[in-house]
Amino acid sequence: MLRRIAMIVETLVLAAVIVTVVLMFTNSPTAPPAAPAAVAAAAPGVDSAGLYGDRCAGCHGGDGSGGIGPKLNGGRVVAQFPNTADQVAVVTDGRRGMPAFGARLTADEIAAIVEYTRAVLAAG
Amino acid sequence: MALADGTAVKARPPGIGLGVAAGVGAAVAVFVGVYGKAHDPASETTIKWFFKTTLHFKAWMTTAALILAIAQLLGALWMYGKLPGRAPSWVGPAHRISGSLALLVSLPVAYHCLWSLGFNPDPGGSRRLIHSILGCVFYGAFATKVLTVRSKRAPSWALPVVGGLLFALLVLIWLTSSLWFFDNIGVEV
Repeated sequence: MLRRIAMIVETLVLAAVIVTVVLMFTNSPTAPPAAPAAVAAAAPGVDSAGLYGDRCAGCHGGDGSGGIGPKLNGGRVVAQFPNTADQVAVVTDGRRGMPAFGARLTADEIAAIVEYTRAVLAAG
Repeated sequence: MALADGTAVKARPPGIGLGVAAGVGAAVAVFVGVYGKAHDPASETTIKWFFKTTLHFKAWMTTAALILAIAQLLGALWMYGKLPGRAPSWVGPAHRISGSLALLVSLPVAYHCLWSLGFNPDPGGSRRLIHSILGCVFYGAFATKVLTVRSKRAPSWALPVVGGLLFALLVLIWLTSSLWFFDNIGVEV
């Protein structure tokens, strides 16, 4: 009886493996929201949504809902950093578990990310 | 070597079963790594069920896999006569079930790691790089173990060695992910 159950479980797990592999190749990510004019104007030519997705979303979530890093959306980041320069300083220099991006991103790119979190994610 | 009627039989080395299993395992590990590196990370949350975030879900699912792997280890030790008393007949099927369930709970974790985060070189440290490599090798070792179990030509020492390697890999994966998470974020659901 237990052997039969083991066979059934193994078959189901094999099916789950196949489904997982298929999903890995077929599931498309949700397109990031387009940056509003204010964000585009802050750093023209910089893909702020793409930068956020590459550099920040892994910890803060694609929609800024948080993860390893704190929640950013829903106006949280603006409430925590009323002064934009303070947020730029944290992104540039890092703090606690947050890595410093000053050596990896240009000032324009950091500005674009900061504006993105304050303008686009604030609505989330 | 020849049979009694004179038919020539080509002898196969006893380790060929393990060699094939290891080769397939290596291919699986490389496939997982190449996917993680080549795939554009979605950077999105996936499953979280009743957990606070996907990362909470992943930390606990990896812990569940580790607990099942400990049950696997104990079952294997019992079957190999390394624990007191003779292993009852249900230990074998229970060992298979716990191994299957360990793989099952690891799948949504691996899916988020690969699809959402990708192979992470971690320029700011080594934890994520080590974790990424261990994750790839883990699935390769799992494939090797499954094939070794099925192989009739694998040497007798192969199964405990591959099983032990698989267990050690899962412990290291847990240390570089769940333990880090519990230590930095807290033991919360």
